[in-house]
Amino acid sequence: MHEEYIIETDILVIGGGMAGFNAAIKAREQGMKVTFVDKGYISKSGQTPFAMDFACFNPEWNHDQDSWLKTIYSAGEYLCNREWTEIILQDSLQRFKDLESWGVEFIRKESGDPVLNAIGGTPTETVQLVERKFVKVLRKHATKLGVNLVDKVMVTDLLENNGKIIGAIGFPTDSCHLYIFKAKATVLTMGGNSIKPISLIGSELTADGDAMAYRAGAEISGKEFTHTYYTGGDPAKWYNFISGISAVGWERSHKNFTSITNSEGNEVQLSSPLGFRELDFEAYAGRTPLRLNVNEKNIHLFQKLGCMDSEGNVPIIGGAKPSMAVHGTEGIWIENKKSAASIPGLYAGGDCASTRHMGAAYAVWGFALCGAAVTGARAGIGAAEYASQEENVTIDNEYLDQIRRMTLAPIKRKGGIKPRWLNQVLNHNLTPYFIFQIKKADRIEASLTIVEYMKENLVPRLYAKDPHELRLAHESKNMVLNAEMKLRASLFRTESRGKHYREDFPLRDDKSWLAWLKLKNDNGEMKFTKEPLPKEWQPNPNKSYEEKYPFRFPGE
Amino acid sequence: MAIKIIDPDLCTGCKICVLSCPMDVIRMEEIEKKATIKYLEDCTVCGWCAEDCPEDAIIITLEKYLPIIGSWE
Repeated sequence: MHEEYIIETDILVIGGGMAGFNAAIKAREQGMKVTFVDKGYISKSGQTPFAMDFACFNPEWNHDQDSWLKTIYSAGEYLCNREWTEIILQDSLQRFKDLESWGVEFIRKESGDPVLNAIGGTPTETVQLVERKFVKVLRKHATKLGVNLVDKVMVTDLLENNGKIIGAIGFPTDSCHLYIFKAKATVLTMGGNSIKPISLIGSELTADGDAMAYRAGAEISGKEFTHTYYTGGDPAKWYNFISGISAVGWERSHKNFTSITNSEGNEVQLSSPLGFRELDFEAYAGRTPLRLNVNEKNIHLFQKLGCMDSEGNVPIIGGAKPSMAVHGTEGIWIENKKSAASIPGLYAGGDCASTRHMGAAYAVWGFALCGAAVTGARAGIGAAEYASQEENVTIDNEYLDQIRRMTLAPIKRKGGIKPRWLNQVLNHNLTPYFIFQIKKADRIEASLTIVEYMKENLVPRLYAKDPHELRLAHESKNMVLNAEMKLRASLFRTESRGKHYREDFPLRDDKSWLAWLKLKNDNGEMKFTKEPLPKEWQPNPNKSYEEKYPFRFPGE
Repeated sequence: MAIKIIDPDLCTGCKICVLSCPMDVIRMEEIEKKATIKYLEDCTVCGWCAEDCPEDAIIITLEKYLPIIGSWE
């Protein structure tokens, strides 16, 4: 027997991170009744609390927009939505000021100026937050403004009526009561998708938002691009969450190393300042061990991290974070500058939104947090504008009954498939570098066979012993769906570009692929469409292939 | 072992760790009214429980707890 709680609100924001806080606070500032929900405790959930670099463009800090754009566009390999790239840069300063006005502290020098960090030799710079602290301040501010915060409720599906999104359904993680949120507009800021080794701490990015939006008929994009990090020395020592130095360490310390050498003694050509998967290419070609050549001045950093071997080298190890999403590229397809999805009543921000401002690669630091703040704020304002024109929400009872059954199905079963096991099997099938870093049709199809089997046979039989496992069961279901999206998108884009490499199609194919790829639920089938790149953003036809694309993929 | 211990001698039953945990690992034990580890295998070692415990009753180690699990039941 379960109870039901109906919560009526103007704006429903799902996902309590940087994007969600901006959406909730901005919507509240417009006078809306805002309900802000998360499956954890808002301000202590997800990835946001551990992020520290916030890219911030400010001409007063000697920032030159053209050089920033050039860096981003070149890594994006023509797939940047340039309107959004400019918006992110231009809005970033106001978001920084807003955050400060809400009580968030950025690290400042004694002079009072903010500390600016430039990583990887790029012109872009970031301001610095203190991890874990700033989110608590945001929660306090949101509470003070009268945002209704709902913690520890797992939202499982969106609700729709007459082709509009009118809210969502969920349950608290410690009981099977149902929460039915009736909202005039819904903003999804539920974070991204990532496939990391099971034993890596902080490995669970379940992409609930993309999955829910897909089931509700929204278009999803960017699933074919993956972002990769490595580690060095003893992986356990690198992932030090307390100091915030993670297996990502390479990028933060890019200025601390001069080059990477392979087993033949040659320097590895790095394609971009971040997430360089060329290290996987070296491993694939049998050219490991790889060594990081440390900048003498900063040797102490590596010594402190315990990742130097007895000869003073830093050996590099693959597989730390094999398949992350490209921030701002993967997610719910965003149609306009108000961060709206393609279905009325639905908005998205942060890693949940595909605004495509980074294009085919995430190559400059600090744009995850910055992008989240900018898109989240616009989504909140856009949702408020829309909601102010909408009538109160009604839901069809028969439809709601169906959704209730779907939500509780795993816990109504008497037995079945264990979610943790399904997660592990899925994870082990998708983490190897030869699936998502170095792609080939036969291997993708092999993985897809397994994932389809899971979808048809295992997901419908997921079994939850208690409400805690009910959340796990829904997360498993979402992760299987995300895996299918990533694999099919990788198969569909028959070329290589940015962070999508096909060894069976190693060239960039401008004739067929100056386009974004969208996928959508079409009566139970995952359908793909190409959205051509607007002419004004296409490359100059007089440029040679090498001029357009300086980085050489293996097999080109 | 992820969460090594929630020291019952130091725990006052304030529930901060129960609320803080994004993975719902910790619950209140009903008789002693103290925090207890219920789903250790879901701990992702984010550290919120240890960080925010006002009594410093929680010790964590930087590795996940990955027991053998079955496939169906």
